[in-house]
Amino acid sequence: MKKRISDNTLGKIKLIILRVIVYAILVFLTFLCLFFFYLMIVNASRSNAELATGFSILPKGNFFVNLKNAWNDASINIPRGMLNSLIIAVSSALITTYFSALTAYGIHAYNFRGKKFVFTFIMAIMMIPSQVSALGFLQLMTKWNFTDSYIPLIVPGIAAPVVFFYMKQYMESVLPLDVIDAARVDGSNEFRTFNTIVLPMIKPAIAVQMIFSFVSSWNNYFIPALLLNKAELKTVPIMIAQLRSADYSKFDMGKVYMFILLAILPVMIVYIILSKSIIKGVTAGSVKG
Amino acid sequence: MKKLGAILMAALMLVGIVACTAKPADKPAEEPADTTVAQGKVFNIYAWNEEFKGFFEKYYTVPEGVTVNWIITPSDNGAYQQKLDEALLNQANASDDDKIDLFLAEADYIGKYVDSDYTMDISKIGFTNADTMYEYTIKAASDVNGVCKGVSFQCCPAAVIYRKSIAKDVLGTDDPAEVQAAIDSWEKFDAVAAQAKEKGYYMTASFAETFRAFSNNCTMPWVDANDNLQFDPQITKWIEQTDKYIKNGYTLTAGVWDAEKTNQMFAEGKTMCFFGPAWYYNFSMTNAMDPEKGCVGDWCIVKGPQAYFWGGTWLLAATGSDNTEMLKDIFETFTKNEDVCTKLVENEGQYPNNTKVAEKFANDPNWGNTMILDGQNDTAIFAELAKDIKWENHTNYDQILNEGLQNKLQEYFNGSIDYETAMNNFYQLIKETYPNIKLPAA
Amino acid sequence: MEKIQTGTGKKLKSVSYAKWGYIFIAPFFIAYIIFTLVPQLLTIYNSFFETYRIGLQQVGPNFVGLDNYIALFQPDANGTILILKYALNTMILWIAGAVPQFVIAMLLALFFTSTRLNIKGQSFFKTVIYMPNLIMAAAFSMLFYTLFSRVGPIQALLENWGVIDHTFDFFAIRVSVRGMIALMNFLMWFGNTTIVLMAGIMGIDQSLFESATIDGANSVQVFFKVTMPLLMPIFVYCLITAMIGGIQMFDVPQVLSKGDGVPNGTTRTLVMYLNGYLKTKNLGMSGAISVIMFVITGGLGAIVYKMLSAPYKDQNRKHRERKGNVL
Repeated sequence: MKKRISDNTLGKIKLIILRVIVYAILVFLTFLCLFFFYLMIVNASRSNAELATGFSILPKGNFFVNLKNAWNDASINIPRGMLNSLIIAVSSALITTYFSALTAYGIHAYNFRGKKFVFTFIMAIMMIPSQVSALGFLQLMTKWNFTDSYIPLIVPGIAAPVVFFYMKQYMESVLPLDVIDAARVDGSNEFRTFNTIVLPMIKPAIAVQMIFSFVSSWNNYFIPALLLNKAELKTVPIMIAQLRSADYSKFDMGKVYMFILLAILPVMIVYIILSKSIIKGVTAGSVKG
Repeated sequence: MKKLGAILMAALMLVGIVACTAKPADKPAEEPADTTVAQGKVFNIYAWNEEFKGFFEKYYTVPEGVTVNWIITPSDNGAYQQKLDEALLNQANASDDDKIDLFLAEADYIGKYVDSDYTMDISKIGFTNADTMYEYTIKAASDVNGVCKGVSFQCCPAAVIYRKSIAKDVLGTDDPAEVQAAIDSWEKFDAVAAQAKEKGYYMTASFAETFRAFSNNCTMPWVDANDNLQFDPQITKWIEQTDKYIKNGYTLTAGVWDAEKTNQMFAEGKTMCFFGPAWYYNFSMTNAMDPEKGCVGDWCIVKGPQAYFWGGTWLLAATGSDNTEMLKDIFETFTKNEDVCTKLVENEGQYPNNTKVAEKFANDPNWGNTMILDGQNDTAIFAELAKDIKWENHTNYDQILNEGLQNKLQEYFNGSIDYETAMNNFYQLIKETYPNIKLPAA
Repeated sequence: MEKIQTGTGKKLKSVSYAKWGYIFIAPFFIAYIIFTLVPQLLTIYNSFFETYRIGLQQVGPNFVGLDNYIALFQPDANGTILILKYALNTMILWIAGAVPQFVIAMLLALFFTSTRLNIKGQSFFKTVIYMPNLIMAAAFSMLFYTLFSRVGPIQALLENWGVIDHTFDFFAIRVSVRGMIALMNFLMWFGNTTIVLMAGIMGIDQSLFESATIDGANSVQVFFKVTMPLLMPIFVYCLITAMIGGIQMFDVPQVLSKGDGVPNGTTRTLVMYLNGYLKTKNLGMSGAISVIMFVITGGLGAIVYKMLSAPYKDQNRKHRERKGNVL
């Protein structure tokens, strides 16, 4: 009897120690994740002269001055860049999710010859990175006069194997074929069924994938940097990379931090509002089945 | 089932390939430049930084109804040239409003564009070279047949800009004539560097500070007629000197444009000499002009150990421009318009590509540079130096070779790698950028 | 009887609807062929040619067979084969970030799913650790550069403390640059991995844990004997996706080192190497590099496909079985 009690307390003490360690690790990681953002926000609120002195724990009063300077900078037109990135990211998010859902539906709802081959094929190409066909892609786009155009940054999103896979998985779990049959009985044609019945049913999947497509398009650097030349067409990542150029030493550092902050801000805002469904989306996408 | 899918895929592939290979066959016909056509409404300028843009916006009045587009790509690792080449190669296909009208080029690669059909004879658009323009600026902008393709808005004799207070401490004098006498050869310059070091100063603030003083006195081009890479004795001398300077602590491991170097121009800086032409004031010495931490008036300029010139920005007329009148207008404004050239000297500290204006300032006893110097007449110094500038031994590869050598050797000078590895990296860079250049047998 | 009727009816219908399947998947394949497949074939095609530019002058294309591949594997004066060096760099950079990423993610996933520990504030922690995943890599990298640059605050702080002198340069030291890249990759990805692994653990039948505990297994034994084997498919999936992400590593080192891969090319990745040739329009060499990368990722992709297609096959069989029953 006695022994059991001491065992119990021992276990409890162990558990408490374990908990302390676990929370310590969590707090440390949280600190690590937030530290750089905090630093960036603090530094974006300091003047160039203040920044030269090193670190500061608290924000200073130069935030709006830096914001004004960064916003109105003549060589790095960040508002224009943000608008450009927004246009590209929203369009490609719409196109990617719609067509991926369409493709997934085509395979999910219909039986046709070669269906298995098609599915196998998409799965096989899923892991091939876009960089390895970048050369031919650039060559073609140049030939078709699509440099300095957003078409090559948006339209290829129609074929997005990863999004397709997610949609397909999702449809398998929420979209019984009976529903489609029912719609057919009601005389709905196939496209209308897809647009008015299927799409609303997979809304959560569409929302999640829209966010992911938006984010990856917003952050995309490799291909846009090779395709876009004109200042008024440049996207945010190109502008950020441009900061790291020969004239770096001449920049007002407060402004540089502000540029970086502006570059990640839209995504951060979206994330803070939608973090719950985003995290759910990560899980659902990768471990189903 | 599988078979049908495969056939379908193959068919689709075929369609794709046909669609793409059919395209390159129809080459668009090149349209000849026609000067009589109506002038365009959009004027596109390619540049690698904001320097000329500033002058352009201040001193040139854009004709009503014309929009000016600046397409600016930093020149790092040749990025500017790559973007410009891409646009020029596409010039014939571009719509009128997308065509390049004017582009800027540096001494290091101007030849590449001048000797091509992508630039046009500026006499055809009604611009005639004036004898007030420096000969070398015309030669640089002319192709092998002597056809001139553009103008420079500046002339770039370069000199040594020194801190008076530090010179006084090191040499016991800050008088330009005496300072010049103390550093009029590299041997003497090295000796002063040792003295400066003893007093706790740096002679220069960047390992590459003296590079142009050597490289623009080369007696042979970087690449010979058979595409062989060759090292001029001047380049070798620079490497030897820098090696010594780094080892002895006479200079810093920062690059010419690095903040660590330009921070040395603040009043608290410990560096005695900087190497540069007139554009250097505005472009690189803003720290010295900082109202709080700067040291305006503590500077003087002398010829230094070896006369040289550095850089210069040329404005080239792009073939296919539909704004030929405006082009001509811009060229005239920045070379022949004495009023503008005067303002470039007075307000911007530039040295103009106009001998008449330059002489006027050089001979004016009341003229002195107070923007940064102590009121010394720097125009007079530059005017002397400008007479001797010759345009020779340039190749189209100079930018990558000059800057690449500096970049790759920087890692040797800062101690991260040995000399052989650094040179090997330099050769690799050449191999990646210009596969045609034959490297010294390894 | 009725069942059979609907069944046959369905079968007839599914034949007549087959064309809709093709119509629905057509846009995907058209886009894929135009924007990926044809470029892919063009890339392979180019790799057999000498084709580059000297400024405005085009050299080639001249057919050179495998010369570009041979050139890629030619050692330089120091005996280094650059493509192998860059492949090794890529691998080192990836491993340096991935090891802590997976270790920490696994630990966190176990912490979060442990009913005994009963961690509070899970959704807060998850939100925070996932956040870096969404950051623009170029911006994150730029932030690191500004912080660690020779005129940045960290240099100033360490100089003030007398730890280093002004000639110190974080970007001249291999370990520090690689460390920065690894740290950034770790921060950007460990949250994502944690969440995925967590979901995997929660998907495991709880009764298995219970019975293992009743059998007297301690938590370490439970982890290695129960959790890990059952988690294996998801773990391997994570690992391989991460690996393929690693092969594509570009934005972070590119921006951090201005494309040079300082110091001495030790942080230059395969894609940075490719990017260098793409920018100079050396289509032959960049084609050859692309093909080599394609082969590597293709190999990894095949493994992933094998793993992922297995459950699909099962489902397909079930599907058919169900149909069979109906008929």
